[in-house]
Amino acid sequence: MMAATTRPPSSATTPKASQAAYRQQPAIASGATAASASRHTDHASSGNAISLKGLAKRFGDTDVFANIDADIAHGEFITLLGPSGCGKSTLLRAIAGLTSLNAGQILVGDTDITHLPPQRRGVGMVFQHYALFPNMKVADNVAFGLRMQKVPSDERARRVDEVLRLVEMQDQAHKFPHQLSGGQCQRVALARSLVVEPRVLLMDEPLSALDARIRKHLRDQIREIQTSLGLTTLFVTHDQEEAMLMSDRVFLMHQGRILQQDSAEAIYTRPRDENAAGFMGHYCLLDAVEAAPLLGYRSKAGRVALRPEALYLSVAGMPLGGEHPERVGPGVHGVVRRHRLLGNIVRYDIDCAGVSLTVDTLNRSARTLLPQGQQVTVHVDLDEVQELDT
Amino acid sequence: MAHADTMPAHKSPTAASLSATFNPYSWVVGGVFAVLALPLVATLGYALATRWGATLTPDGLTLAWFIELWTTPRFLAAFARSLFIAVGALALSLALVLPVALLAHTRYPRLDRWMNTLILMPFAVPPVVSSVGLLQLYAGGPLALVGTPWILIPTYFTIVLPFMYRAIANSLRAVDVQSLMDAAQLLGAGPVKAFFLVVLPNLRGGVQIAVFLSFSFLVGEFVFANMLVGTRFETLQVYLNNMRGASGHFTSALVITLFVFTLILTWLGNRQAEHTITEAAR
Repeated sequence: MMAATTRPPSSATTPKASQAAYRQQPAIASGATAASASRHTDHASSGNAISLKGLAKRFGDTDVFANIDADIAHGEFITLLGPSGCGKSTLLRAIAGLTSLNAGQILVGDTDITHLPPQRRGVGMVFQHYALFPNMKVADNVAFGLRMQKVPSDERARRVDEVLRLVEMQDQAHKFPHQLSGGQCQRVALARSLVVEPRVLLMDEPLSALDARIRKHLRDQIREIQTSLGLTTLFVTHDQEEAMLMSDRVFLMHQGRILQQDSAEAIYTRPRDENAAGFMGHYCLLDAVEAAPLLGYRSKAGRVALRPEALYLSVAGMPLGGEHPERVGPGVHGVVRRHRLLGNIVRYDIDCAGVSLTVDTLNRSARTLLPQGQQVTVHVDLDEVQELDT
Repeated sequence: MAHADTMPAHKSPTAASLSATFNPYSWVVGGVFAVLALPLVATLGYALATRWGATLTPDGLTLAWFIELWTTPRFLAAFARSLFIAVGALALSLALVLPVALLAHTRYPRLDRWMNTLILMPFAVPPVVSSVGLLQLYAGGPLALVGTPWILIPTYFTIVLPFMYRAIANSLRAVDVQSLMDAAQLLGAGPVKAFFLVVLPNLRGGVQIAVFLSFSFLVGEFVFANMLVGTRFETLQVYLNNMRGASGHFTSALVITLFVFTLILTWLGNRQAEHTITEAAR
């Protein structure tokens, strides 16, 4: 949909070329430092786009985050996922330079930006509540960054027009922010940070303030634009689905630490520890003793995590919801406590000898819904059992 | 129930107009308005009258008093002095209050609570008392302003402080200053540039209201002007006081001129307020 023809010619497909184009601009603000810093990265574009080394931030006595280490490749879409208060937004603001750090180093390319003010970092940011300038029209909002770079007015107009086309807002250029819907505001905000061709784009829960339908559309659009520009992006969210759908890699954060850095699939199916399993999906967390009857053996790990969709039900020896996998554990008897209809999924709470299990089945037909009190047998897919160290 | 009440009014227009005439609220409002307006109307009449003695209506109408007033150099000089002092006090208070309000809003929220108490202080002490204190304060030291008209500027600053601070603090609350500053800085603007390009324009509405209201208040200020400087620096109100022995027609013209001037300023300020409110509501 967002074909190559609508893309700003200056922001070429490869990250390398796009950075080169960015560097031709008279550079950010009055930044002699930034200009020379940019020239540095020219020689090092083979390395990581961003490296975070031992970042730590304290607020009073509490650690907001600590020991943050990560390398992000050029053009990668990274999601910082975690519950509210886990430090993900503060980390993003620290990378942007809006919050100071207590320790650590941030490299963009091989430039150390740790001590640069935000306006000289060459980092773009999109905020949850858009932060559009209410006194300026859409076009002027987008042009602001170019004006700060003293880009000549004809080039400015051309680039503003291009980037507004990219986000499909070219018809709204002469409106004020208060005349736009939330989704439109966020597109303008995206355009405003894209137009200056930042080396890294930071997005702080940009979809959280939008309603569901617009959120889905904009989510796909952001990913599409990001891919076509090859723009290294850090995206903060607390929404698991958003993280799974958009990211090349997910950084799962919990209490100021990165628990796990992995592909969405790996994060979902192979959580590293209890906290990771607790946040992703709807894992049932059992200890080794509780899990033993289901598995047929006593796990050596302290905790066993079972995904609801890796548990299977059968009623009176008849498998429910199609064939069961080959390697299943011995069946355990249980009683349906209640079921919840999530649309395509039916989620059962099953009481099994004092343990409560959550089992998801596909909602194929209303005839197969199990009533409360129904006797069932629960099996587990042994290939999908996660044994977690504690 | 409400429907039943209004139904007959819809059916017969005479009933509707009758009930409007006997609406007790409009009588109260009309009565209060009349009481407030009557002295003013009488003053206007006196200012326009050639002679108004023992008769119920003036003998004739003339603009002569106004023309005489507006061509009196002493009046024009007093007017100019009032404007000068008001503008000076407002410039000083803008320069001081704006950064304080900004800091209280973004960095030190505790300061805001202190300021809210502090701005009431000038009203806690009667002007007659505080002018003694002010005379003492400015009698010596680095700011020896007693005997000069300059003393009025810091004095008036304290009077307009509540208006200025509250209006600016309210408009700061209406815009998310911190994220606007953040966004502007990430787009390459330094903090100062970001403030002038992005924050200040969005405070304009609130600042304008504060300035207009404070201005009309200061132009009408008499007590401090009279106590602190008096006839050495004749402002409008002091001039009016000094002219109280002159022709009543002449002073009436002066009062009406002053009133219309203040009215226009207040109207401008209110119009700005409405504009800001409708904009915020959208």
